Amino acid sequence: MMMQIFSTFEHSVFIEMAISTLEKKGVKRENIFVIPLDNQTEERKVFDNLHRSDGTSFVDIGVALATAFSVIGASIGFELAWGPIYWGLIGAAIGFLIGFGIRIFTEIILKKRRRLLKGFHSEIIVIVDCEESEAEMIENILFSHYALGVAKIKVQK
Amino acid sequence: MNNYSNDNTARRYRAHVSILGTTQIHLRNPYIIGWWSAAFPGFGHLLLSKYLRGFVLFIWEVVVNVNCNLNLAMIYSFQGEIDKAKEILDTRWLLIYIPVYIFAIWDSYRTTVDLNKIFVLAEREEHRFNSFSIGAMEINYLDKRSPLMAIIWSLFVPGLGQLYIHRITTAFFVIIWTVVFFYLSHGLEAISLLFLGEIKQATEVINAEWLLFFPSIYGFAIFDSYINTVENNKLYDKEQRFYFKENYQSSSFQVLKGLKMK
Repeated sequence: MMMQIFSTFEHSVFIEMAISTLEKKGVKRENIFVIPLDNQTEERKVFDNLHRSDGTSFVDIGVALATAFSVIGASIGFELAWGPIYWGLIGAAIGFLIGFGIRIFTEIILKKRRRLLKGFHSEIIVIVDCEESEAEMIENILFSHYALGVAKIKVQK
Repeated sequence: MNNYSNDNTARRYRAHVSILGTTQIHLRNPYIIGWWSAAFPGFGHLLLSKYLRGFVLFIWEVVVNVNCNLNLAMIYSFQGEIDKAKEILDTRWLLIYIPVYIFAIWDSYRTTVDLNKIFVLAEREEHRFNSFSIGAMEINYLDKRSPLMAIIWSLFVPGLGQLYIHRITTAFFVIIWTVVFFYLSHGLEAISLLFLGEIKQATEVINAEWLLFFPSIYGFAIFDSYINTVENNKLYDKEQRFYFKENYQSSSFQVLKGLKMK
């Protein structure tokens, strides 16, 4: 009796190890079907704003302001009781918090709809054709390589 | 040894994995790159992986800044002592600083806008690129790393975050200059004194003009290692999708109707 095993993964080296192990156990390459899913938020971000690299968005202004405030804080700090190092660090912290605050405001309040879902994402679907006798072994291989979910489908004649 | 021999058939490549690091073109905010050039000429170009220009502009900045006492003048200006600032600036060096400073900002801004367009075209072209490199001195390959760890190591010593993500060229450059700045600023002596609670002594031991390079080098090291970790992770995903589409989508495969087993 034919079976198909469905599973979902995140992008990592484990999915390649899982597929490699399946092939080593005798599953043919043409019986493994891999579908990378398009991630909704990523497409939208690039489309929304050509000039921004999404990953940077939460720290970019923060680090920039931290640097600027730190220079000013250290300069003035030479004249103050706590000296330039403490005031430089205080300046950096204040600058970072202000920049981070600005980003929180623009990203979360103004662009609520673009936020990523929390937790694990199913980024790839893997479907494996196999005999019923192999199903258990394949399921174990998939789960031991951190599949997010696995389902065994018994094909109806 | 690489896993792909470039045959120059692409019009544009989006990335290259080499022994010295993963170089890629990705979308960047031109204002942020321009800002880093303003904080320290050269940093904008290092962020773009345009190292030679970055090195030239960075070393230029250190030499001319120290010789014309610009950092000291900044300290006096922020303290409101404008007369002292005027007095300390060395006009034998000062004027030459300005055009190069403006050029660094303008050129990194302009290049970012250009590279963003190149990125869009290169990404659509989806040409294969080298993604694994092993040689006598190093091994580099696409991998997923934690952006938080890159930040934490950069906070300890600028450059370690770059080493973590195999950005060897920036790592060496930043680590060497961090050592120079720490030594000439007497910053570590001051930190030791601060731990002992001797705040006044700590302030006295510091060489102010060298200390003022620290905010930028720390900020840059944190930002550069963080965004490059994120971008390398994204490149990993893209490359893996491409690999699966090429190798695991047999035309004879059929999705069949059935029932889920318990």
